[in-house]
Amino acid sequence: MPLAIGSWAPDLMTKWFVYGISIGGLKLKASDPAQFHRGWPGVGFTHSLLFGVVLAFLIWRVFGSQIWAISFLIGQWAHALTDTGDTVGTMLFFPWTVHIHLNAWAYAGQTGRLHDAAAYFSGLGAAWDAVWIVYGLFSWRVLTRSYFERHIYTADRSWTVMNRVVSVGALLVVYRAAFFYGTSRWIAWTLWAHVIHHYPYDLSWGGPHWVDAAHSPPLTWPQLAGIVGIVAVGSAITLLEHGRRRRARSEREIAFPCECGCREVVKLTKAEYQTVGGAWLEGHEPGDERAPSGA
Amino acid sequence: MPSRRQLAVAMGYVAAAAVYIAIGVLYTDFLLSFFVGLAYLLLVAWLVPAGVRRIF
Repeated sequence: MPLAIGSWAPDLMTKWFVYGISIGGLKLKASDPAQFHRGWPGVGFTHSLLFGVVLAFLIWRVFGSQIWAISFLIGQWAHALTDTGDTVGTMLFFPWTVHIHLNAWAYAGQTGRLHDAAAYFSGLGAAWDAVWIVYGLFSWRVLTRSYFERHIYTADRSWTVMNRVVSVGALLVVYRAAFFYGTSRWIAWTLWAHVIHHYPYDLSWGGPHWVDAAHSPPLTWPQLAGIVGIVAVGSAITLLEHGRRRRARSEREIAFPCECGCREVVKLTKAEYQTVGGAWLEGHEPGDERAPSGA
Repeated sequence: MPSRRQLAVAMGYVAAAAVYIAIGVLYTDFLLSFFVGLAYLLLVAWLVPAGVRRIF
């Protein structure tokens, strides 16, 4: 659930102003929708990695749930990273305001909600969504009741809290709703764009080219070098931390039952266990005359 | 492979999705909010079956 909320977070409060709404004859819409949505000045920082980290930290401190914080972060990062695929891209490393964009599909938010949907569901963005739908279908076991009860319900305390009010059956429907909504929505918009309105498909890089897409300027070589540098430093820190944790794990003592069968406990690190080739109390090793009978 | 019971549940969701998609294609506003989708799914996949089970 927090993962789903995290994946909506970047657009949650802002997309209405990108497309525009009318209230009592008053039209509210950003003068430059792409700049407002993804840029600075604007609310483009909602699509940055730092924004996810700040919100995840707040969730962790306010609700005291590490799993909610990490899940939210994964969802928000997934959204921010995915949106780098279009022609405007995201300020992934905000406060550095350079837009990282792969130009795989057209950004057409400035053309209005329906035209934007038609363009998105005609290009590689929709194809990328389809990859995840197929992946989800192959992973159908995660949507079963037994998986929900064994792994999801037990991992997140909020399900237990909600279960005080509604049945597990209803919670299971809530759990499945994100996949149901994403898949159904993808099919519905595809039918709407291509069966009802006959918008042409254009799966070429940067397409569909029939829409007037917004673009960010291409990256300069120094900017590219900066991005490579940030990714390299981030990867190095992650690898070092991973190594440190692995070493700490292997240096931690674990209680093994003595292998002679005496039911005594032997405390060894994983490395010591592997070096000795088993866990024995002193004098209980095979062949030692002090070993209890039957060893 | 999924069991017969799991397939029956999946078919129920497919039927619910077919109706949701049909409404969404005709009235695209129906597709815009996850919470509308969630409310719809709770209605057809939990509330209605639970009501039917209680009656019969």
